[in-house]
Amino acid sequence: MSEATPLLEMRSISKRFDATQALDDVGLVLRAGEVHALLGENGAGKSTLIKIMTGIHPPDSGEILLDGKPVTLRSSADAQRVGIAAIYQEPMIFPDLNVAENIFIGHQNRGPIVNWGAMARDAERILGDLDIQLDVRTPARGLTLAAQQAVEVAKALSLQVRVLIMDEPTAALSAHEVAQLFKRVDKLKRQGVAILFISHRLDEVFQIADRVTVFRDGRHISTRPRAEVTPEGAIRDMVGRKMEDFFHRSERAFGDVLLRVDGLGRAGAFTGVSFEVKRGEVLGFAGLVGARRTDVGLALFGVAPADAGTITLAGQTVTIGSPQSAMSHGIAYVSEDRRQLGLSLPQSITANVTLATLKRYLSRLGLIKPVAEQATAAEFREKLSIRAASLEHPVGQLSGGNQQKVMLAKWLNLQPQVLILDEPTRGIDVGAKAEVHHIVDQLAQQGLAIILISSDLPEVLAMSDRVLVMREGRQVGIFEHGVATQEAVMTAAVGVA
Amino acid sequence: MRLSLKSLRSWEGLLLVILIAVVALNIALSPVYLGVGNFINLFQLSIEKIIVALIMAFVIINGEIDLSVASVMGFAACVVAVVHENNALPFAAAVALALVVGALAGLVQGYFVAHMGLPSLAVTLAGLIGFRGMARMLVEDRSIGDFPEWFNALGQKPLLGPIPLALLIFVGMAVIAVIVLQSAAFGRYVTVIGNNADVARYSGIDVKRVKLSLFVLSGLVAALAGVLLAARLGAVRASTGEGFELDIITMVLLGGVSIFGGSGSLVGVGLSILIILNMRNGLGLANVEANTQTGIIGALLILSVLVPNLVNGLRRARVGRAGHT
Repeated sequence: MSEATPLLEMRSISKRFDATQALDDVGLVLRAGEVHALLGENGAGKSTLIKIMTGIHPPDSGEILLDGKPVTLRSSADAQRVGIAAIYQEPMIFPDLNVAENIFIGHQNRGPIVNWGAMARDAERILGDLDIQLDVRTPARGLTLAAQQAVEVAKALSLQVRVLIMDEPTAALSAHEVAQLFKRVDKLKRQGVAILFISHRLDEVFQIADRVTVFRDGRHISTRPRAEVTPEGAIRDMVGRKMEDFFHRSERAFGDVLLRVDGLGRAGAFTGVSFEVKRGEVLGFAGLVGARRTDVGLALFGVAPADAGTITLAGQTVTIGSPQSAMSHGIAYVSEDRRQLGLSLPQSITANVTLATLKRYLSRLGLIKPVAEQATAAEFREKLSIRAASLEHPVGQLSGGNQQKVMLAKWLNLQPQVLILDEPTRGIDVGAKAEVHHIVDQLAQQGLAIILISSDLPEVLAMSDRVLVMREGRQVGIFEHGVATQEAVMTAAVGVA
Repeated sequence: MRLSLKSLRSWEGLLLVILIAVVALNIALSPVYLGVGNFINLFQLSIEKIIVALIMAFVIINGEIDLSVASVMGFAACVVAVVHENNALPFAAAVALALVVGALAGLVQGYFVAHMGLPSLAVTLAGLIGFRGMARMLVEDRSIGDFPEWFNALGQKPLLGPIPLALLIFVGMAVIAVIVLQSAAFGRYVTVIGNNADVARYSGIDVKRVKLSLFVLSGLVAALAGVLLAARLGAVRASTGEGFELDIITMVLLGGVSIFGGSGSLVGVGLSILIILNMRNGLGLANVEANTQTGIIGALLILSVLVPNLVNGLRRARVGRAGHT
């Protein structure tokens, strides 16, 4: 690792989009053979920097130095030519081409005819170097997301990349796949590639990065060697406030039991789920992917009704056969999938906030009262600090955190007694996460019974009064807050003694 | 509609420019174009189609399609004709029966789409064939006319000033349609479902009921249009209204309603109706034959589907991977 000339240097880069100063005089230095983590909330300017590095956007000012010499990147082809490539969360794969073709897409060994044999051998060699076991002749269509990503890494390697940008590469991977990816990253690093690694998951960043740079609001805040960075420090830099603000959970007084579930089940999904939630209590649902926690939520909300067991609400046995019946009993379900199940993306914030409660905004003629509707949306914008220029803005254009808040507003407007939150902080930045935690805490204080389904173990442990653990469609234990440690919960979730 | 640079860049703005061009051309080319008589006539010649286009806009915004409308029109007209021919019921009751038959046709198809989850393209294609077949069974190769004087008058003579009944119905329905789509809960639900039916379902909206209602309405309106067509033509054959569904769908798509559902405005549909009617009228006044007219309008439809896609494609190519964050 030579200290002398950095491999790539971004110097005093600024970029403005209309009213937003996306980058304001930022610098970033990448050395050969380092993994450099870039942290920042959504909107911190990470994506813009990547787009400038890969030639998609030109900077307004500032320069890019490669090996100490200024370069101009006018297109992504320019960037590729000098050895800068990027891998994204969703692999850019051609499903109908095979693995070898995908690796060599755009730069096959082209004579009059393609030398398939040589191409396959080269592909095998590259995959071998990376310890990736894949048949290079299988079409990419059938590959898992992790395997597709591995193909992308191989593609980058075949291009002889010098700078590899990995933008949230682990967001959709399991723990095991992440470990494998990291081994490959390590290999690239030893070959002298500079890697810019972007992730929301701090634990990964600390595991893999040599240096850590933090951006906030388009400005460079800090660059430090990993050894000098603590998670608390990094978060403080990212959000400009302290770690104590996270996992906000105040002492709460519980009321009587509001929701009781006995032996709940749905054929083919889950069986034997029994629990109680009191007013003012947060019951966490922990488990691995495939533990069928969401199915329990969907049964309580009537999307996929239970076919066994009983649901008792405030002492009354109820039957929930549809979302409408769940809503009439004061049960709300905030889906884990904002974009596919939660929000009508092209429509306005207002229309989304009132979507589940539109009947309350009708005049005697049956027409929507726009003023009343907007007043509600404005009230929630205030209460949940939804950041949007206008309430008429399409929800799809908001950041993940703000979308999440709009979804919360939609369901809080129902004034539910039972609130089921399914992965309420997935894919949103640290600051928004803290805000969501704060809101959940406040709702519990107001006496709502809350079911919190989350794959973020620290979150579910910190936020919940009790944690129910599921494994493969079965309930395997309920832990009190305090007794529920990461180890205890994980052990139950994985099912090893 | 507010006229600003921004609205001109929108689809409606483009349609408005085209409309102005077509109208200007018509004024320049034909001395008889500007006249109340020609203007009413221009509507009257396609009045049944534009009535059905209003409900078709809802169906397409909802993410579905109803290919059976022209066959339902023909079937309803045949019901009226056959009942009249056999003197089975008073004429007004025959009309009522035809409307009920149309609504039932929509109900059956809507049930298959909403409750059985079958694609509306397939279900209503079957409807297109099936209801036309039933019309043929009723009327065979006869031409049934000789309707009561008042019925023919309603279809052919002005009712209010120079305006005939069908145009009044269209204007009334257009006003209602705009209000419902803009301001009624039903209109909001139609749009949300068209965007993403799962989101609607997870929001406690009765998706099945909304879809079923739309198909029933579509059948009912198509039957009404069929009856009006019978009154205007004064005679009914098994082939009455055949092929109308294509013109109707063209009007809606050219109006900027997305074939994938979820977006579209009735202002756009209104403008596209005016463009098509004025083009046909102008081409007719210029003695262009009907087949050529159809060809030109077909080209217009292809453009309406192509242009937005091309613009989006170009924009995406320019931004490249900018969509990723």
